[in-house]
Amino acid sequence: MIEKALKGNRSYWIWILFLGALVAYGLSAYYQQRWLGLTVTGMGREASWGMYTAQFTFLVGVAASAVMVSLLHQKELTKTVIIALFMAATATLMSILFAVADMGKPDRVLNIIFFPNLRSLFFWDLLFLSGYLATTITAGWAMLGAEKKGVPPPAWVKLLLNLSIPLAVGIFFATAFLFGGLPELSLWVTGVLALRFIASAFAAGMALLILVTLIVKKTTEFDTGKEARERLAMVATYAGVANVLLLGVQVFTTFYSNVPLLWFSLIAGVISVAILLIPASRQSQQWLVAGCTALVLSVWVDKSAGLLIGGELFPAPLGSIVTYAPTSTEMFVVAGIWSFGSLLFTALLKVVVAVKAEHKG
Amino acid sequence: MSSLADGNTMMNEQRREFIKKTALGVFAGLGAASGLVPAFSLEKTALPVWDEKPVPGKIRWGMLIDTRKCKEGCQQCVAACHHEHNVPAFKNRREEIRWSWKNSYKNVFPTADNAAASKEIQNRTFLSLCNHCADSPCTQICPTGATFKRWDGIVEIDYHRCVGCRFCMPACPYGSLSFNWQDPRTAIVDPVTVYPTRQQGVVEKCNFCSDRLIKGLQPACVEVCPEQALVFGDLNDPASDIRVLLESNVTMQRKPELGTKPSVFYII
Amino acid sequence: MEVMMKSRKLLWLVIFAAISLFAAFYLFRNGEAETPQKPLARVSVVDSTKCIAPKEFMRANHMQVLQGWERSVVRDGDRVHIASNGSRFQKSLGTCLGCHNNRLFCYNCHSYANVKPKCWNCHLSPMETP
Repeated sequence: MIEKALKGNRSYWIWILFLGALVAYGLSAYYQQRWLGLTVTGMGREASWGMYTAQFTFLVGVAASAVMVSLLHQKELTKTVIIALFMAATATLMSILFAVADMGKPDRVLNIIFFPNLRSLFFWDLLFLSGYLATTITAGWAMLGAEKKGVPPPAWVKLLLNLSIPLAVGIFFATAFLFGGLPELSLWVTGVLALRFIASAFAAGMALLILVTLIVKKTTEFDTGKEARERLAMVATYAGVANVLLLGVQVFTTFYSNVPLLWFSLIAGVISVAILLIPASRQSQQWLVAGCTALVLSVWVDKSAGLLIGGELFPAPLGSIVTYAPTSTEMFVVAGIWSFGSLLFTALLKVVVAVKAEHKG
Repeated sequence: MSSLADGNTMMNEQRREFIKKTALGVFAGLGAASGLVPAFSLEKTALPVWDEKPVPGKIRWGMLIDTRKCKEGCQQCVAACHHEHNVPAFKNRREEIRWSWKNSYKNVFPTADNAAASKEIQNRTFLSLCNHCADSPCTQICPTGATFKRWDGIVEIDYHRCVGCRFCMPACPYGSLSFNWQDPRTAIVDPVTVYPTRQQGVVEKCNFCSDRLIKGLQPACVEVCPEQALVFGDLNDPASDIRVLLESNVTMQRKPELGTKPSVFYII
Repeated sequence: MEVMMKSRKLLWLVIFAAISLFAAFYLFRNGEAETPQKPLARVSVVDSTKCIAPKEFMRANHMQVLQGWERSVVRDGDRVHIASNGSRFQKSLGTCLGCHNNRLFCYNCHSYANVKPKCWNCHLSPMETP
């Protein structure tokens, strides 16, 4: 089936080549990081986590939220399920890559498997992520293969999907409490953090899925359906409202108000939720795109700039204020991993679309 | 029958002296000359003070810092520590690596009410180092168990296992951990040959001089302090100096409310 | 005619692949060593009955021995190795290099085998210390 990803029109190949170029740049930036050390990033003593950890957090949330689609069990969403599974798989793969990119000695990454510390949430997080990757990609691929053959998917696919739900919960809470378990970072030791993590992840994940299905609709003939998007938008709206409320609470009660990017996140969040709440704008495709994009950006900025910088630096463990800004090498690695994930996702979507077209015809 | 180690120790004491007197051209790349100096003092471990496998929990090492005796501007403890363990000296704040350092009262005890403390105390500098907590957050969060608690209470980093994820760094409430953002060997001033370095990509911190303890020596900072402000000993032994002093003095710990149970105490 | 053209192309491709493979094999065969040669016995003559284990065992297993020592010393504090003949040794790199004190002892075999041990990333190799 993968050979279907090798056939495409000009714009498809331009997109693939563009992503490939970014991956190449990312690889060379990563090589520089391996050679010279993490000094090439903007991180330092009091900002020991940066963009890589931020992307890790964001993508874990997106990956876990995709499981909602299979949970909803609604027939409008049957066309969307496979796309959601592939989005979950690629987001999980990307988050694992970001975790590894952040390590000082990634050649020793297998030590986490050989000598795991069972008290460490990071170990559990990576374990669950690997399991989630395995279940989603296998289930998605099997479902697609079954559709190609025109038969219902085998029984074990249902088992895998059921298994992916507790795994999604696992990666959620492991990541949320990974940051919440650090006693020194006062902003984070709030139950609100875990709640907000869930809300923002669902909001961003559903919004991203809506955008992806719209892009697929625009570039191919495959349409997952307006009703499907309506369902997803509902989840995104509820989650978005919850996220904005909780974010607003934190902005006004803690140090968050000192971070200008956080205000952007809040405002974008409010606007996107407003668009999604109003039925007229939610059902208009243009407004839907605008609302979803704003929501994804809002959550992304919140994770990247807000959670990490706000959490790490206000106040820093030893009472000093340090600024963090990612370097160009760091951003190239980030872009490289995002491009790799997008490349994989594009290829998988191409196969999905081709199979669906075949099946229909 | 004398063990191999005995003969080596004797021989190499003399050779060590010889080597110290010649210029040390270490870390300058691969040496071309061979056979000029037949042996070399390569991290020789003398016979340990304890020959048997240690019993976990029997000893608990601790340190008491009498800050009243600490002289302003004196950094001998930090200098000795960093010298003995080949700790690199990166100048910029971002990449600085430190096993011990002098800090202000406000930073060492941020959660203690310091508004009422005397001006003299507020201006005093305090030695900070890894507290080797009995319930340390860094050992809990390390995914590979590279940071772990030893049988004698010392929180040690296994540099062979560390993957450099840096989760221990924000986990430590005291900022005791440093990361090698680049190759440390470029920044080691006046290296010693009897102790290894670390490498790019791993985290490091004070080890309570476990390398000196097995030789029956006191930690470097304790030995070198001109005012004898540092006391080191077994917290489990009621007759030890440190226990006697702890019982006869009022002491403070850093951030006790976090429940980390540090092994380092301060007399203010 | 077309089949002939296709099989001709294939033949050239196979020949090219074969040449590249041979070239790569030949060029990269020796790694760092300029000329392949057996490791010379340049070490000082050492009484191997004093070693922790026989020579053949050590040649095959010294890495496992060292890793076991590292784990045992760092994580358990068990610093004394008791050989099969009862003699006691310190579990330390210094123990080995105390006898095998030719500074090129490790290098001789390792350069020939083209295996770079990672020990010297941190530990001070005999080639670096005077």
